Amino acid sequence: MDLSLVLNTFMLLTLTTLLTPIIFPLLSDNLKNTPTIITNTVKTSFMISLIPMTIFIYSGTESLTSFWEWKFITNFKIPISLKMDFYSLTFFPIALFVSWSILQFATWYMASDPYITKFFTYLLLFLIAMLILIIANNFFVLFIGWEGVGIMSFLLISWWHGRAEANTAALQAVLYNRVGDIGLILCMAWLASTMNTWEIQQITTPTQTPTLPLLGLILAATGKSAQFGLHPWLPAAMEGPTPVSALLHSSTMVVAGIFLLIRTHPLFNNNQTALTLCLCLGALSTLFAATCALTQNDIKKIIAFSTSSQLGLMMVTIGLNLPHLAFLHISTHAFFKAMLFLCSGSIIHNLNGEQDIRKMGGLQKMLPTTTSCLTIGNLALMGTPFLAGFYSKDQIIECLNTSYLNSWALLLTLLATSFTAVYTIRMTVLVQTGHVRIPPLTPMNENNPAVISPITRLALGSITAGFIITSFIIPAKTTPTTMPLYIKITAMLVTVLGILLALEISKMTQTLILTKQGHFSNFSTSLGYFNPLMHRLISTNLLSGSQNIASHLVDLSWYKKLGPEGLANLQLTAAKTSTNFHSGLIKAYLGSFALSILIALMSTY
Amino acid sequence: MAAYLTHQQKVLRLYKKSLRHLESWCIHRDKYRYFACLLRDRFDKNKDVKDMVKATELLKAGEEEFWANQHPQPYVFADSPGGVAYERYEMYKLPEWCLDFWHPSEKAMYPDYFAKREQWKKLQRESWEREIKQLQEETPADGPRTEALPPARKEGHLPPMWWHHVTRPREQPM
Repeated sequence: MDLSLVLNTFMLLTLTTLLTPIIFPLLSDNLKNTPTIITNTVKTSFMISLIPMTIFIYSGTESLTSFWEWKFITNFKIPISLKMDFYSLTFFPIALFVSWSILQFATWYMASDPYITKFFTYLLLFLIAMLILIIANNFFVLFIGWEGVGIMSFLLISWWHGRAEANTAALQAVLYNRVGDIGLILCMAWLASTMNTWEIQQITTPTQTPTLPLLGLILAATGKSAQFGLHPWLPAAMEGPTPVSALLHSSTMVVAGIFLLIRTHPLFNNNQTALTLCLCLGALSTLFAATCALTQNDIKKIIAFSTSSQLGLMMVTIGLNLPHLAFLHISTHAFFKAMLFLCSGSIIHNLNGEQDIRKMGGLQKMLPTTTSCLTIGNLALMGTPFLAGFYSKDQIIECLNTSYLNSWALLLTLLATSFTAVYTIRMTVLVQTGHVRIPPLTPMNENNPAVISPITRLALGSITAGFIITSFIIPAKTTPTTMPLYIKITAMLVTVLGILLALEISKMTQTLILTKQGHFSNFSTSLGYFNPLMHRLISTNLLSGSQNIASHLVDLSWYKKLGPEGLANLQLTAAKTSTNFHSGLIKAYLGSFALSILIALMSTY
Repeated sequence: MAAYLTHQQKVLRLYKKSLRHLESWCIHRDKYRYFACLLRDRFDKNKDVKDMVKATELLKAGEEEFWANQHPQPYVFADSPGGVAYERYEMYKLPEWCLDFWHPSEKAMYPDYFAKREQWKKLQRESWEREIKQLQEETPADGPRTEALPPARKEGHLPPMWWHHVTRPREQPM
């Protein structure tokens, strides 16, 4: 039996199954979509995608499909080529599993929305674009997926378009992604001109890849994956409904940038500059996001900054030249981060739209399943041994510790790991424990299976995914196997330190010792002063500069610098300089002539 | 309402603002209740000051202390301006007297409603005087104490401002 044919067929069947709810209503008036239909479609797709993954695990079959070539110019052909290798075959079931759970949750969360079918269609379109991005072998197909997820992100963040903040946030997302796209297009242009192909497997690097296209790729990843510098759109994207935050801005879309770097890692292998840039950028992003998350009071913003911090960690892994570890972290992170968002969505809906953790407390007794799964997700996020996050996060930190790279990046990452523990414990303490601070007479229940089964399913995933993935997949590079004990347990130590710090700070808050404001907490609360600085400075300078160019430049150049006034100035400067010489002191002139003749005569002797 | 705030209004606004920001700082309710009582006592100590100059100076000092101690992310209710769920759905409705200006062909698209509309308007015109009379009788001399409207007191009367309530915009979309 030709395994690669079976593999191909089932992967294409997965994609086609996802397209059916979009195409069938267009063909006939009787076939209407409902949210349940779309959820079941994604569930079926997930089941189908398990088959190619199993084939890959047990036989290592990979496949490269291409059909319909766009004969652009004679020399440069762009086929639609799809690569079914380890990355795409493993990520498909994970993305579909997480999406199925989120869609099932959204049937409850968005039940009171008048346009729920449109919402589900948007989510489905996003999923299709994301899967096209994953399976692309070609920069052309990847770009289609890349722009697709950007557009769907815009449409979904501004779902409640009556809010001004939601529209601003959607615009922010689009603009920051666009800045990143410049880098991607730069790289595509370089590839087209140098290697005459956009196929990823045809990119053979000479001894050293020039840094410019790699900078472009890193810029693309910075924009899409919210690294420091192009990060403000991710916390602002929490304006969208919680299913959107869970699907796009935690598990799937934001990892697209990192996935691009994973796909093109052969280019990065030789260029140490690009790798160091990734490492430092990732370390900076992870620390910055973890610092900002420390003082946030909105539960969704805490989880958003947590996502940003983990994305920085993935970038650090890319910088260590370990793309398969980054992919492992992407896979495990998808489970527990989506679950954290779903739990927070359940809490928010039960509290009638309350998102501030200062008005939540003691929910452990009122929403036991949700809060237990929240705890599991938080433990997995912190890298508790043998939960999902441990397998990827601990390995990354071990490799970082044992490599000969930048110790500054190492320090930042360890600090960010302890901050992760701090804000996680803070969130847990304020949301789940303590006395109740919610308004009285809030009826809350967990009776709906549409809420509980996705959350428990993802909880099961968060517990077992790390173990299952690492048992079945052979790593591409050998990670260091021997190291001193204190290096081995660094991540755990640092996390425990963070937990102790968080507990100490909560005790201080309760016993009234904590100071209100200080430089560090002000920096953290105002998100590093980045938003007002950059948004205002850059736009005012750009706009006023362009206004000056448009109104003054022509006059300035033609009349003042190059034209009559410029000539006049030139003459004037020459005249003034020569006037200084012509000071009219004949005696001084005669004296200088005599002196120079004397020196010349004396030097000839 | 005149363009200026009275001293009482300014003091009360300062009190409410400072209570809300205190709530944002003191997360735990028992701690908040303790400090809220202390704050109330601070306001109450100066409540009988008759000298307006001194009272205004106290208010100014209070406002400056508030500005220095405010919370960077004050707690805002979800449906209030600045909250997470504010204006989530576009629920604004045009005033209902615009319906009177529709062309008959447009009105013919909703025959059930417009058949009964004249009766509703007649009912509203008739009961308006009685509603206003009830409100004028029931309001205390120095202004209403609360925004809540009283129910209808007599048999056959309608509650005051009922038409305003019935034609209000929705809070959640259908």
